[in-house]
Amino acid sequence: MGAAGSAIAVHGIAKVFRTEGGETVEALRPTTLEVGAGEFVSLVGPSGCGKSTLLNILAGLLAPSAGEALVDGKPISGPDIDRGMVFQSYALFPWLDVLGNVEFGLERKGVARAERRAIALDYLRSVGLKDFAAKQAHELSGGMKQRVAIARAFATDPSIILMDEPFGALDALTRRALQKQLLAIWQEHRKTVVFVTHSVPEAIALSDRIVIMTARPGEIKSIRAVDLAHPRDSTTDSFRDYERAIYADLDAELVKSFALEGQLAD
Amino acid sequence: MSTPHSERASGLEVLGRLLPFVYAAIFIVAVWLAVVAIFKPHESLLPQPWAVARHLGELIASGELFRHIGASLTRVLSAWCLAAVIAIPLGLAMGRIPRFEHLVDPVVELIRPISPLAWIPLAILWFGIGEFGKIFVVLVGTFFPTLISTVAGVKRIDPVLIHAGQVLGCNDRTSLFHKVVLPAALPNIITGLRISFGTGWAAIIAAELVAARSGLGYLISNGMEILRADKVLVGMVVIGVLGVAFDALFRFIHRRISWGAV
Repeated sequence: MGAAGSAIAVHGIAKVFRTEGGETVEALRPTTLEVGAGEFVSLVGPSGCGKSTLLNILAGLLAPSAGEALVDGKPISGPDIDRGMVFQSYALFPWLDVLGNVEFGLERKGVARAERRAIALDYLRSVGLKDFAAKQAHELSGGMKQRVAIARAFATDPSIILMDEPFGALDALTRRALQKQLLAIWQEHRKTVVFVTHSVPEAIALSDRIVIMTARPGEIKSIRAVDLAHPRDSTTDSFRDYERAIYADLDAELVKSFALEGQLAD
Repeated sequence: MSTPHSERASGLEVLGRLLPFVYAAIFIVAVWLAVVAIFKPHESLLPQPWAVARHLGELIASGELFRHIGASLTRVLSAWCLAAVIAIPLGLAMGRIPRFEHLVDPVVELIRPISPLAWIPLAILWFGIGEFGKIFVVLVGTFFPTLISTVAGVKRIDPVLIHAGQVLGCNDRTSLFHKVVLPAALPNIITGLRISFGTGWAAIIAAELVAARSGLGYLISNGMEILRADKVLVGMVVIGVLGVAFDALFRFIHRRISWGAV
């Protein structure tokens, strides 16, 4: 069972999908992972490595085929407002304005109107969008939408925040700015974060630990702790060393998965 | 966009949107005049546009036109509301519960291709030429577009919005439905209501042609019986203008409600 101090404990979690043709696809091999309270852990790997599957299981949106996932020692039985999520496609509710989106979870928690307005505005201020509270989602750029989504996820004060390639659709400059903003919010509120990304530099810039995953079937290849002080400068040698080591882990896997794709194409 | 500039321009925009209709009206009148000039039909078959306009003025002055419009509109509105009350909940259920949809959809698909006009004889047999017969025909015409748009609206909801709702505290089906499914499907439901109002407007005229003592359809069929093409044409013009006006009204409502998605 979850050791003291571990917010998330995953024991032998596996996921098998059945395709329409009746074939089974092993999306995630039995996986074991512990994430400490307040820790920032990234899941990095090629497409199809099961990182999003694992994240969705942690969110309670997907039931594992085998194994046990515990949060604070209790098995995950479904989605819970104590586990917030940020999606790659922002998932803002287009019928609500920015403030309404950030207030959504607070309202579900039963927070009184005036108080939830104050909390939502506070989180919008911390992502620099206080003046956009009355805007509709479609009036915002991608980066602004994701900042709203981050404010929305933090506003309900969950103990865990799950982020599924949150910056994957953004341009490089916006991405950098949002990484900094996320770090600032995380350092202020010290949530446990599980962060899925394709980007190795992004994972190094943000994470306490990086879980490197392999594809087809998805499983954990290695876990590396990042022992660098924030803010992390991607031009330093130590940053580059982490990058080199992680790419080395990934490259071997990419060769394997390309070879597999070649076979499938033949 | 709601920049001050575009708000200031909105008056001109309305004018810009009306302009094509003005051109269309001029074009139709020109063709009409040409046909009258070339073929020289008898007044009772195709009168001059001015004669029709004059008769329109007479019908407005006597209040008869408004009586007919009122009769047709009352029938369409009652049937359309009735259709919405049945079709929207049914469509929401079909969109959310696949097993229920598999059960109901074949029935819908079998009945849907039958034009509401094909129901007119049965409606007369069952309900006579009273009000309910006509409401029934319009109900058939408005029910299916509303139902189908509602089902599509629910099924087209981006799954990520459902997930977002779930992780933000909508744990049960009821709260998820109220907080996410219904608002997300609303623009499509409004589209369905707009389309069905159009089909209902067409169906009521047809039903009134056959079995009515009032309404715009009756005005037309009565004009035919007494050899008054000007009466027929007044009816047709009013049907067209009101059809366009209601469609514009629904588009306006739709734009307000669909959060810039359309």
